Amino acid sequence: MAGESGLAASSGPAERDLVRPVSLSALFIAFLSVALLGFGGGIAWARRITVDQRRWLSEPDFADIVSLCQFMPGPNVVGIAVCTGAKLRGGIGAIAALCGFIVIPWSVGLALGALLLEYGQLPIVRNILGGVSAVAAGLLIAAGLRLFAPHRRHPVAVVFGLLAFILMAFTKLPLLAVLFGLVPLSIAASGIEKARVG
Amino acid sequence: MSGRSALVALSAHLALVSSISFGGFPTVLPDVRNFVVAIHGWATDQEFTNFFAMVQTIPGPSMILMMSFIGLKVAGFPGAVASALATFGPPCSIYFVAYRLWDRFRAAPWQEIVRRGLVPVTLGLVVASGTVMARAADASWPAVAVTAIAAVLMLRTRTSPLWMLLAGGALGGVGLL
Repeated sequence: MAGESGLAASSGPAERDLVRPVSLSALFIAFLSVALLGFGGGIAWARRITVDQRRWLSEPDFADIVSLCQFMPGPNVVGIAVCTGAKLRGGIGAIAALCGFIVIPWSVGLALGALLLEYGQLPIVRNILGGVSAVAAGLLIAAGLRLFAPHRRHPVAVVFGLLAFILMAFTKLPLLAVLFGLVPLSIAASGIEKARVG
Repeated sequence: MSGRSALVALSAHLALVSSISFGGFPTVLPDVRNFVVAIHGWATDQEFTNFFAMVQTIPGPSMILMMSFIGLKVAGFPGAVASALATFGPPCSIYFVAYRLWDRFRAAPWQEIVRRGLVPVTLGLVVASGTVMARAADASWPAVAVTAIAAVLMLRTRTSPLWMLLAGGALGGVGLL
């Protein structure tokens, strides 16, 4: 997003402040923490760790990866790990990030899940998990809004962002219909806007 | 169907649906339920729903874990491993190839246009999924307030989300939400 660096600078590191090189073990550990911390969806944590804390990706880089992953089949957060690893260190980086994201968290989750299946009906456990989910929902909303910040002065972007939000949050339309319905229109509108502004 | 052939059938089906799960794995859950519960009777409807609720409340790759619990039910520990691999293997290869292509054409003018169209829509969807989660989690006004406060703290301060999650868990645990 060369022409937008002024807007994007409001949050997240600028292109020149990005940390390089990134070691494979750092990738492994970063995505291990994303997985272990990421209650109810890891996008909020993935953004915090890769953009805010480690300064590996700029805000637009991360938004790019999230968008691409939402458009592909499969578990989105796994895709964020693979793409971040691929961007920073190529194929081996993708594998390191993926292993960090999956191997240990999967084992812990399987064990924890087996326990929860036994004790999950206890009211206190349900209440605690309810409180955690309420916070997790707020974190996810904030992550989305923050990534949107660089686009807030583009009317076309705001309109389509709002449309996507409303259709998904308040109608029963399937995700696929929303995605494949809005994206072509949104791309066409951004093409027209660009042609006009130059 | 014996455990082994059941495992092969389950893995093959998971590999197939994970390759076409555009927009995230939850989009194919109805199909998986149909395959596992209605067609093969490997788990009951109740069990399937329990698996789903449970993986929402534990950290980690939730859909991969959910499929692993189904695999565990069908064929024990090897079933859990095979189901996990079938769920993330094919999409990972697709992610990798697609990202390499996308990154190669970073500077192309058409990509700038596609990006400016694509990004706002998908970010709207991220905010929407937070809202949908909130609606499932927030059974009371205090819980709605907790969600809102967490969002504002995350946007305006550098407070670690971990503290917020702990606070949420504590408030829930003492019965305030």
